Amino acid sequence: MTDWILFIPELYTLAAAGVFFFFCLGRARPGRDYAAAMVLSAAGLVLTVCSAGFEGLIFEGVYRVDLYSQVFKVLIYSGFFLVVCLCADLSGVDETRHSEFYLLLCLCTLAMMLLASSVHLLTLYISLEISSYSLYVLVYLRRGSSQRVKPAFQYFVMGAAASAVMLFGFALVYGAFGSAHMAELMHQVPARIHEPLVFTGFVLSLSGFFFKLAVFPFHFWAPDAYEAAPHQVSAYIATASKVAAIAILVRMIALTGGQGDRVAWVLIFVSVASMTAGNLAALIQKDIKRLLAFSSVAHAGYVMIGILSANAMGYAGAVFYGLSLMVMKFVCFMVVVKASDGGRNIDTEALAGLHHRAPVLALALLLALFGLAGIPPTIGFTAKLLVFRAAMDQGLLWLVIVAMFNVVISLYYYLLVLKAAYYTESEGRPREVALSVPLKCLAGAMIFLMVAGGLWPGYMIVLAESMTAGLLP
Amino acid sequence: MIVPYTHVMLLGAIVFLMGMICTLTRRNLMMIIVGLEIMLNAAAIVFVGAGLEFGQIEGQVMALFIVAVAAAEVSVGLAMVVCIYRQTQSLDPQCTEDSRCPAGTEKASEPASGP
Repeated sequence: MTDWILFIPELYTLAAAGVFFFFCLGRARPGRDYAAAMVLSAAGLVLTVCSAGFEGLIFEGVYRVDLYSQVFKVLIYSGFFLVVCLCADLSGVDETRHSEFYLLLCLCTLAMMLLASSVHLLTLYISLEISSYSLYVLVYLRRGSSQRVKPAFQYFVMGAAASAVMLFGFALVYGAFGSAHMAELMHQVPARIHEPLVFTGFVLSLSGFFFKLAVFPFHFWAPDAYEAAPHQVSAYIATASKVAAIAILVRMIALTGGQGDRVAWVLIFVSVASMTAGNLAALIQKDIKRLLAFSSVAHAGYVMIGILSANAMGYAGAVFYGLSLMVMKFVCFMVVVKASDGGRNIDTEALAGLHHRAPVLALALLLALFGLAGIPPTIGFTAKLLVFRAAMDQGLLWLVIVAMFNVVISLYYYLLVLKAAYYTESEGRPREVALSVPLKCLAGAMIFLMVAGGLWPGYMIVLAESMTAGLLP
Repeated sequence: MIVPYTHVMLLGAIVFLMGMICTLTRRNLMMIIVGLEIMLNAAAIVFVGAGLEFGQIEGQVMALFIVAVAAAEVSVGLAMVVCIYRQTQSLDPQCTEDSRCPAGTEKASEPASGP
């Protein structure tokens, strides 16, 4: 007997997607679509927060609702809500396509919520595919730009290839254990992780999640897709999608029960490779969205440090890192959306004199970039501290030192952006950056969250620890 | 089961590698999608074989879902291929809108029957 109450947030999101589906059928009215999206996403966020205490197994045990999944659903939903907040100026998407844009965004959010709760390989695969397909089409929705099809297709081919590899890995794991349920795998995997078949299957099955998180061998789509997509979609990929990827990756790695030394070496390799590749490539980027894409790759590497430590603090650190990445990346994209003219991409120079034009936005950008670079007292510093402490507890001092070198490299390009915003005076008459009152409040809330996460992170850390407590053997 | 599971797995691995090589080496958007489909089907073979080995229905259920997902994947992929073809009049991934492929180089294998 399925307890449908536990499934209410997902059902609600499905209904919201249905509303936008009916909007698609009629004549295009962008104003109505935006208002509906705001109301529906805000109500959904409230509903998800209210359902945070739910617990139980539904659908014959393939769908697990617990604190871990519910908090991640809140995070994913807040990502969705925040992105919708940026959609007041959706000039990057053709006006007749707005309702389809919201429909796909809704579906993608629904799929990520399913992803956070799935504990069966089949539900995992299906929800990952639904969210990816929505994103492929969303990246393609950019208006006018002639170069949009190629990056979208590249994104599609890489994503489909990564998920095919993941599926083959699932097949090998299923063939080795005769079970596709994570609760049963959790008992059997740690003892047999060193068998070549299990090891191969497990590593292959991680590739789909690496693709979602844009970790080194699967990161080549990131800069092109970020650049080609509408700003709001890039923001969504950088926030909600990354959080969902962290959720499922932590669950998968927790299957090894900290026994997989060889798996840990694979993870160490991809972690070091993706921070180094991301940071070095970001140094020479002019386009802000490409820069943020490479910084996402680098941050995926830092998150992996927490995950591969496979101890309580590492998992909690990874979850906390997901939250901090969401806040900081969202602020960066808010600046991009506000500073860009008619949905076009902007260079770092376009931010010149931002502190005159929009002081609140400039302050938020300052804190977000400091956070991304890991400077106290911001939320990013706390997140880095947690994952590095976890790695130190596992005796991986050298990994932390490599990561610290990377942090220093990353400072350079974050400070370049800040220099443009604060020290460069704009030539001629720059475009006004008009910030409506609700958006000012939003920027203020983000500033508060970033500072509070740096100064009083205690509550959030306790929450992250109690979320991940169920994952440890 | 008459055929041992290891043989099924070997078959699956060979088909998977063939699909991957097809995806990586062909310079035709259609063949890239065909390669992706072959990779999915290789996984389905292994799932069905493993399901038989353990006497469970789960493997076949997985295979059914994989067929459905593959259909969705083709619908998204082919839509993009049609758009690319309309812009570049070619199925070669190296031709872009800015630099149309000259007539002498490798063109799409299908005759251009579109607009």
